[in-house]
Amino acid sequence: MSIVTGGRLGFVTFAGTVLGLALFGSLLAPHDPTAPLGAPWSPSGGGNLLGTDALGRDVLSRVLAGGRHLTLTAGAAALVAAAIGIAGGLLAGWHDGPLSRLLHTAADLLLAAPLLLIALVFAVTLPGAVAVIAATVCGGAPLTLRIVGDAVRQVRHAGFVDAALGRGESGPRILGREILPAVAALAGSEIGARFVVALQLAAALSLFGLGPAPPAPDWSAMIRENVSGAALSPAALIAPAIALAVLSLTVAVVGNAAARHARRPL
Amino acid sequence: MTRDGGLEVSGLRVTGRGGRTVGILPDLHAAPGEVVALTGPSGAGKTVWLAAVLDALEPPLRRCAGTVRWQGEIIAPGDAARRWRRRHTGILVQDAAQSLHPLLTAVASVAETGVDTSRAATTLEQVGIDASLHARRVHQLSGGQAQRVALARALAARPPLLILDEPTSALDSAAAQLVAAAVRARRGDPRVVTLLVSHDRDFVATVADHVVVFGTAPSASPPVPSRRPAAGATVLRVHHLRLDRPGGQTPLLQAVDLTVDAGECVAVLGPSGSGKTTLLRSLAGLHPVTAGHAELAGTRLPWPVRHRPSALLQAVQYVGQHPADTLNPAHRIATAVGRPLRTFRTTDRAGRLATVNALLTRVGLDPAVAGRRPGGLSGGQRQRVALARALAAQPRLLLADEITAALDPASTTTVLDLLGEMRHDGLAVLIATHDPAVADRADRVLTIHDHALHH
Repeated sequence: MSIVTGGRLGFVTFAGTVLGLALFGSLLAPHDPTAPLGAPWSPSGGGNLLGTDALGRDVLSRVLAGGRHLTLTAGAAALVAAAIGIAGGLLAGWHDGPLSRLLHTAADLLLAAPLLLIALVFAVTLPGAVAVIAATVCGGAPLTLRIVGDAVRQVRHAGFVDAALGRGESGPRILGREILPAVAALAGSEIGARFVVALQLAAALSLFGLGPAPPAPDWSAMIRENVSGAALSPAALIAPAIALAVLSLTVAVVGNAAARHARRPL
Repeated sequence: MTRDGGLEVSGLRVTGRGGRTVGILPDLHAAPGEVVALTGPSGAGKTVWLAAVLDALEPPLRRCAGTVRWQGEIIAPGDAARRWRRRHTGILVQDAAQSLHPLLTAVASVAETGVDTSRAATTLEQVGIDASLHARRVHQLSGGQAQRVALARALAARPPLLILDEPTSALDSAAAQLVAAAVRARRGDPRVVTLLVSHDRDFVATVADHVVVFGTAPSASPPVPSRRPAAGATVLRVHHLRLDRPGGQTPLLQAVDLTVDAGECVAVLGPSGSGKTTLLRSLAGLHPVTAGHAELAGTRLPWPVRHRPSALLQAVQYVGQHPADTLNPAHRIATAVGRPLRTFRTTDRAGRLATVNALLTRVGLDPAVAGRRPGGLSGGQRQRVALARALAAQPRLLLADEITAALDPASTTTVLDLLGEMRHDGLAVLIATHDPAVADRADRVLTIHDHALHH
């Protein structure tokens, strides 16, 4: 096994651990993440590795349990936004004329509107998770559409597309069988990029109190709750912030690695 | 041991994924003023050798041993090699049309290398791109014209080291002579070195001081004399076809009349940009026709291609001229060649695999390539896969656009012999080419000039 393969194996293990902890960390939590255990904002030690939070709950348990809702929401939002964007990009890149213009105009209009405003409007009208998905679609799908559309335009006249036309294959079939695999490398990085945006939106909305209702553990809710005690128990503020950063970086890197892997010649 | 000046390459070794050695590459010394040609069968590693010398290998390929000396100094891989490439080299890559910026005009593409506009224009004219083409962008140029624009780009700044990968693959003989003259002009100048990869024996013989042969070149068997099979029925009949450039006012070709009989091979010759490719593409239904019509064995061919019934689609197969994008990068070779079998011949999976292997063998490829993706194949190998894919449909008419341009002489012979065999079974071939060796083996040669096809 070469160094390169060893590195890849290590990276896959790391990324799997990060995602596994974000989704199923509550199983490893040493205490009930919602039960007060002692004095508020006590420093680490005495059975609480990272100290306690504003209501005296164990910070470590809350960090382990607090990523699930965010990750699932952001993951669903990323998949929906990337799927809509890729489908739109395939159509916009393949067709000339009204359909392509319509799709590009719609994408441009959505991009011109401020994303946070859209997200806030959704947040007050829809349940939290649905608002994140809808806002990610509005903010992310147009970007994916443009990127995928350009990639499709580049391969639209390639020899392998001519060959498929020469076999009498229909437009949808060529898009699905020839063009989508050829631009599949983009899909991985697009899903990764949309996940990061969705995670930011979900965290921002949750920070405004539009996320899961207390006392459910949630990283951004933890940041809001523990800001005032930062001097007494810095870990209660820093730990959820680091968890958010590590999760979004990992997913972004996984997306890019997937794209590189798909492009790699045998 | 230091020999002064020139380019000296020794002990190059390239590794692929997992650190396994892909090839130990030949040593080379090119003295100042010399022109050195690299030849050998396609897939022998000529392009990889160039990339290894330039330290421009695509991962996972890596240069793990060997030294490159330029004017006596070792060029270390990494930043030093990158600076050396920028300052001292001019490079023409294979499939040069794809290396040109789509938004720049021909003259701007050349001037982008740091020369002024008048020098750019002179260099373009030196390689036969006259002033009327200077303001065109790459998509408005033919394959041969784009290749020469890319060549002018490599030549314009008078680089001390000029590297040309297949500089004449898309050129007719007149244009190839201009290129040869441009290369010969560098010969003997003690400040410069020229390396070139080419399958074109005449070109190599006229310009190179010495030749490095890669791999074991199978001796090209003498061409089988093309016995004209018994004259068959007319397969293709074209009446007064007129083709326009997209958005252009003047017709590209008008009043094209031609017939191709079963078992016959007809070659279309013409300078680059004359419309050979467009003619073949329109017969395949991929380019609209403005007037006239064509019949396949008595049946009118509808336009565009999506209006053609399955039987007509199967009967007419087209092989394009760009090996780079002729195969889907995401599909394995077995999938690419097997697709027409699925569409037209509906055999079971095992039967398909056997047919794919047989087809790959017939075009002179190792059946083991079936499991690979196009990224692992050389330009010449891809072109042969594309031919196998076309033949998999069992067509009655093969439209072949410069299919031998990316091939070495031995593979060219293999492919032409194969077409000869297929012709005995009644395949009609219409082939666009600039290669006299290909035209010699055709039954009839048609030439294009002044927007018309001449018999």
